[in-house]
Amino acid sequence: MSLLDIAERTQKGPKMDENAWNMGLFRKMNELTEKYQLVYPDDGSFFNMDDDLADRAFQAGIELLVDTGVYCISTGRVIRFSRQEVMDAIRAMPAEVRVGEGKDARVLKKRRLGEREALNFRSGHHAPWSEEFAPLVIKNFAQIPSCDYLEGINFAVVDGREIHGMPMEVYAARREAAWLREGVRKAGRPGLAIAYYPISTRAPVMIAPIDQEAGLRSTDGVLLSVLPDMKVEQDYVAAAIVYEERGCFKVNGGGGGFVGGFAGGLGGGIIGGVARPIVGFLVYRDEISYAGVGRMQATVPGAKMRFDPGMCWGVSVVCQALNRNTNIVYFGGSVGAADPGSGTETRLWSLVGNMAAPINGGNLSGPRQHRAQMNASQNPLEAEWLYEVATASMRSGIDRAMASDLLRKLNERLEGRVAEETVHITQCYDLVNHKPLPDYEKTYLKVKEEVARLGLDFR
Amino acid sequence: MAKENETREALETLRAAILQYDVEAARSAAQAVVDRGIDPMLAIREAIAGSTDILHRRFDSGECYLPHLVMAGDAMTAASQVLESAIPRESVPAKKVVVIGTVEADLHSVGKNIVAMMLRSAGFEVHDLGVDVKSSAFVTRARETGADIIALSCLMTTTRPYQREVIEELEAAGLRDRFKVIVGGGPITREWASHIGADGYGADAMEGLEVAKRLVGIGT
Repeated sequence: MSLLDIAERTQKGPKMDENAWNMGLFRKMNELTEKYQLVYPDDGSFFNMDDDLADRAFQAGIELLVDTGVYCISTGRVIRFSRQEVMDAIRAMPAEVRVGEGKDARVLKKRRLGEREALNFRSGHHAPWSEEFAPLVIKNFAQIPSCDYLEGINFAVVDGREIHGMPMEVYAARREAAWLREGVRKAGRPGLAIAYYPISTRAPVMIAPIDQEAGLRSTDGVLLSVLPDMKVEQDYVAAAIVYEERGCFKVNGGGGGFVGGFAGGLGGGIIGGVARPIVGFLVYRDEISYAGVGRMQATVPGAKMRFDPGMCWGVSVVCQALNRNTNIVYFGGSVGAADPGSGTETRLWSLVGNMAAPINGGNLSGPRQHRAQMNASQNPLEAEWLYEVATASMRSGIDRAMASDLLRKLNERLEGRVAEETVHITQCYDLVNHKPLPDYEKTYLKVKEEVARLGLDFR
Repeated sequence: MAKENETREALETLRAAILQYDVEAARSAAQAVVDRGIDPMLAIREAIAGSTDILHRRFDSGECYLPHLVMAGDAMTAASQVLESAIPRESVPAKKVVVIGTVEADLHSVGKNIVAMMLRSAGFEVHDLGVDVKSSAFVTRARETGADIIALSCLMTTTRPYQREVIEELEAAGLRDRFKVIVGGGPITREWASHIGADGYGADAMEGLEVAKRLVGIGT
């Protein structure tokens, strides 16, 4: 199948009312959850130990795609796939993706479950940063030596003007790419790959940042994300056609499954988590995907700090299903406790969940608060910390059983704590000198020491 | 006493049908209420409206999901239709009307869907315009339906100016005072809502629902 086949199917597939699609998806997810017995054992376990269950989850994802297809919200039509087309796409997924150029060129790889080789790492962004911070923030995240590529930012004002309407969106898209290029150059890493993060999802805005001199090069990328509930859109197919010709890599930021929405419970979230990365490749040719599963209801400040065993288990099932049966390069497999604000102690604790990423075969995504706030949803120390944690996990030889034990201890340690409100970057980090402010650094060192006592080797 | 027990039982049966998301059972239970001469307004208040809080708590705690709100809404609608047919037309309480959608250039629908379902299950008449909705479309539909509230969702920082645009269109048409406007979504804050002159803001769906109820004088 080519992208033109997809384009045609968005126009010619059977019409369906969106509400009918939504409820049909729920019924199908329930049916597949039952058929493939995708049920949490309810024994407090954090990781799936049943390979057969992971393979059943994969089969459920395939059956979902073959039986229901995906829904194009632009045209109100269903795109259907044959089993052969789905399996051909899976076989065509690359296990390596080359990004960036010169000395900053990197190879993003599919990892094996539990592998101890160095992880690929997207250190930052996919977050809102205002224009006065943008180039300096980008420089800071690009300066992190383990960073393999950076995703872009979103913002509401450019050149002092509100971004409102397509002409301004196009301009802002080009500015975003230009700031990314400027930031990586200032960090001494001019060839570092950047991936455009959509200012808006309209096709002209999606392709506006392409500019070999000052914007997206052919060694850079773009986020073309699958929407929740197995939905796709024509503007992204249009963008995919252009970026495919350009040779840019494409990232599915919508690769995870959701619990609570029209996919239903954890079983549906797992099936969605398996299917959405495949949809990203089928429909947009996304060679890289986020992976995992999360709750649809966003957590708010004040939520209890706790690594939920069932959700952690769901993440491991999704990652195992994809890892055992596809070549897809995914960033994910981490787990988190609530959604604490950036720059806080509870955020640092939550990021310890990144020790699960190598166990689940995932590469690392940078820190990002779910309810992101302008200039207050991530900082470079958080990025370096989560990379430290994942690396320590590998060095310590942490396996699923040991990680489960560690997560249990973390939950005991965090008993009674609630997710803190976020902190503005200037209150915790010195971007000019690329270092945390003294109090924040003390907090980090305190947390690190405690985590080391729990069993992670940070040498 | 026997009559009281019978009433309590009938209302409980109706409430149970809604909480089991069973449209046919809700319809039958509502008919049983009418057949037994029980005050239909009482049934609407206690069994239908009374189910709402339970449903919303279940959803918030993760015990039920968005489709359950849809099905419960369908069950409530089915029951309401039966009960309202037994009430003199002039006594049927007029439903408060909400026009909801995700603003122009924004395709995110998850948050909007949750709020729409919660409003519906709380007894509002909801007109969901979907996603990428032009500002003028909100105004047009609000006028056509005699809406009480226009609810605007967005999930991208760059699309939030369209929330302000809807308010500006209302002002330009001399309609600002006719409709309450509430806003929500990931990048939206109370400060933004105040800045653009919105009447209300919800940090999450539950708060959005409470704000909507307060704005139209329900449950105050």
